[in-house]
Amino acid sequence: MVFDATAGFPESRRRSLVDRITRHAEPYLYTAPALILIVTIMLAPLVLGLSYAFRDVHLLNPFSGGYVGLDHFRTLYEDDNFYRALRNTLWWTGASVLLQFVFGLILALLLDRPFAGRAIAQALVFLPWAVPTFLTGLNWAWLFNPVIGPLPHWLYGLGLMSEPTNILSNPQLAMWGPIIANVWWGIPFFAITLLAALQAIPRDLYEAAAIDGAGAFRRFTSITLPFLAPTIAITVLLRTVWISNFADLIIVMTSGGPADRTQIVASYIFTQAFRALDFGYASAIALVLLVLLLAYSMLIVMLRQVLMDRA
Amino acid sequence: MASIEVRNVRKNFGIVSVLHGVDLSIANGEFVVLVGPSGCGKSTLLRMIAGLEEVTEGEIRIDGMRVNERAPKDRDIAMVFQSYALYPHMNVAENMSYGLRIRKAAREKITAAVSNAARKLELQPLLARRPKALSGGQRQRVAMGRAIVRQPKAFLFDEPLSNLDARLREQMRAEIKKLHRDLGATSIYVTHDQIEAMTLADRIVAMHEGVVQQVGSPLELYDRPANLFVAGFIGSPAMNFLSARYEVGAGTAGARLPDGTLIGLSSGYQLEEGAAVTLGIRPEHVEMSPASESSLRATVDLIEPTGFGIILHLGLHGLPFNVFTLDRAALTAGPTVTVAFPPQHLHLFDETGKRALESSLQKGKG
Repeated sequence: MVFDATAGFPESRRRSLVDRITRHAEPYLYTAPALILIVTIMLAPLVLGLSYAFRDVHLLNPFSGGYVGLDHFRTLYEDDNFYRALRNTLWWTGASVLLQFVFGLILALLLDRPFAGRAIAQALVFLPWAVPTFLTGLNWAWLFNPVIGPLPHWLYGLGLMSEPTNILSNPQLAMWGPIIANVWWGIPFFAITLLAALQAIPRDLYEAAAIDGAGAFRRFTSITLPFLAPTIAITVLLRTVWISNFADLIIVMTSGGPADRTQIVASYIFTQAFRALDFGYASAIALVLLVLLLAYSMLIVMLRQVLMDRA
Repeated sequence: MASIEVRNVRKNFGIVSVLHGVDLSIANGEFVVLVGPSGCGKSTLLRMIAGLEEVTEGEIRIDGMRVNERAPKDRDIAMVFQSYALYPHMNVAENMSYGLRIRKAAREKITAAVSNAARKLELQPLLARRPKALSGGQRQRVAMGRAIVRQPKAFLFDEPLSNLDARLREQMRAEIKKLHRDLGATSIYVTHDQIEAMTLADRIVAMHEGVVQQVGSPLELYDRPANLFVAGFIGSPAMNFLSARYEVGAGTAGARLPDGTLIGLSSGYQLEEGAAVTLGIRPEHVEMSPASESSLRATVDLIEPTGFGIILHLGLHGLPFNVFTLDRAALTAGPTVTVAFPPQHLHLFDETGKRALESSLQKGKG
C-alpha cells in the first residue's frame, strides 16, 4: 500500500500539471469558436477599414497605401462638402424619422382597433418593408418624373406647383424626394413595433381610465404614451442610426445632386469611395460618422434608462 | 349613493346571446353579489352597468336615470378590477387622485379625499410608491382607494379578490365588508366564489347561462335553493343529489330510492304520486347512524380530514356521495358506513329541476 502510494506520486503530479493547464484553458476553449468568429468577421474588417483612414488608399494608384497620419482628418476639417453633407444628414434623418414615426404611430393606432378586414390591412401595411430599397428608389424617382410619373401633374393640378417639373432636379426641393420615398418605405417598421407595444397595454387600464372620467385624448396621453415611451425611444434610436447611414435611396434617386443638395455623409462616403475611388478619405469620413453616431446612441440609451427607471 | 335598476336586459355578442333578459333592482346602500360559474354572464352584466359593454336590449337605470347611452365617465360609478388596473407609471397618490384630477377638483379637496381614503385603507406610508413596488394585497387596497376617493353613486367589483392568495383573500373580504358598513354605498360585486358571495352579500343573485336563477339573502339560498343549479352551486362541499320517486301515504310522504329504500319526508309536496324527483341533502346534514330501515349502506372511497372536520367520499349505489362530519371517529371509518337523512334537511326538486312546493299532509291517500 505504501509502495503503491509513493510510486503513484510523481505520476499524479504530472497529471495535475496537465490538469492545471487544461483547467486554465477551458473557458478560453469554450469561448474560442465565438471569439474567432467575431474577430475574423467583425473586428478584422472594421480595424482594416479604420486603418484606411490613416493611409493613402487610391484604388487605381498602385503606389498608394502609405501611412499619412491625420492628413485625411485635416482635409476633412476644411472640407465644405463634408459640412454641407453633415447638415443634409441632419435634415434627411430628422425629417425621415419624424415623419416615419408620426405616420407609423397613426397607422398602429388605427390597426389596434378591431375592424372588418384588419388582417388584410395589416399585411398590406407591412408590404413596403418587403420592397428592396433599390426598387423603392427607382419607383419613386419615376413617380416624380413628369415624363412618366403622375405626381408632378397631380401636384400641379392641386395648385401646389406652378408647373409640372421634377422635384428631384429642383435644388430647393430635391431632398424631399428621397425623404418621401424613405418615409413610405420606413413607416411599416414603426407601425409594426408600435402596434406590438400597443397590444401589450392591458385593456382594463383604458376601462379604468374611462370610468375615472378620462376622454379619448386623456387616455392617450396618460396611458398610451407612457406605455409606448420605452419602445419609442429604442425605435427612434435605431431608425436614426440606420437612416443616417442609409444612402441607397439617395444614390439611386439623385446621386447626391443636384449640386450636392441631397448629399448626406453616407452618400458622400459612397461617392468618395466608389466614384472618386479615394478609399482612405472615405474611411476617414466614415470614422467621424461612427463617432458621432456612437455619441448619439449613448445619449439615447441613457435617456431610455431614465424612462425605464421612472416606469 | 343610488339605487340601480336593471330591466329585461339582454346582451348578444354577434349571434351569441349571453344574457337572456335579466331583471334586478338594487336598493340604495345594498350590497349585492352576482355569483355563478364562469361564462354565466355575471361579469358582462356588471360591465354593462359600468358602461363598458353596450346594452343590446332592455334598460339600465342608476338613481332613476336611464344610463344606456351614457359613457362610463358620466355614470358616476367606480369599479375595482380583478387585475386592479392600476396605472403603472403613477404612484399610489396619483393613482387614487386621477379621477378627481380629471374632473378638475380643487387641490385641497383632492388632498383631503386621498388622505382620507389612505387612512381608511392604511395606505399612508405607501402614497409615494409605484404599483410595481407594492404587494398584491396593497395593490388591491389602492384599487379600492381609487374607487372610494371619488365618492361615486355605486361601487362595482369585478372579482376583486381572485388574484390574491387564500389568506389575503379572507382578510380583504372582511375589509370590504367593513368598508361597506362604514360607507354604506350601493355595491355590486361579481364573484365565482360562493364563500365570498355568502359572507359579503345582503342579497345574492345566482346566475347560470345568462339567466338569473335565484335572488335572495345568503341563508335563503342556502336553506331553500330554488332549483338544482343553486342547490349544487351554493355550499361547499356541494349538495348530494339522489334520484327517487315521490310516494305519499296515510299521513306520511316519502321518496323511494331505486334500491327500494323509502326516505321519509317532513311534509307533503305538490307532486303526483310516483313523480320522478331529485332528492338533495347537504353533506353536513347527513347523519352517520347505526343501521335502520331508512338508513343506507355506503362504501368509503376516500377520507379527507380538513382539520376542522372530515369529508367522507362515499359510494352510494355506485354514485359519489359526500358526508361532512365533525366527528373524528369518521377518520377510521370503513370499509362501509350507514348514513341516514334527517327529514327536515331534505330538499326535493321536481323533474324540471325546480324546488318542489310543500303541501300539508292529508289523511289517507290524496
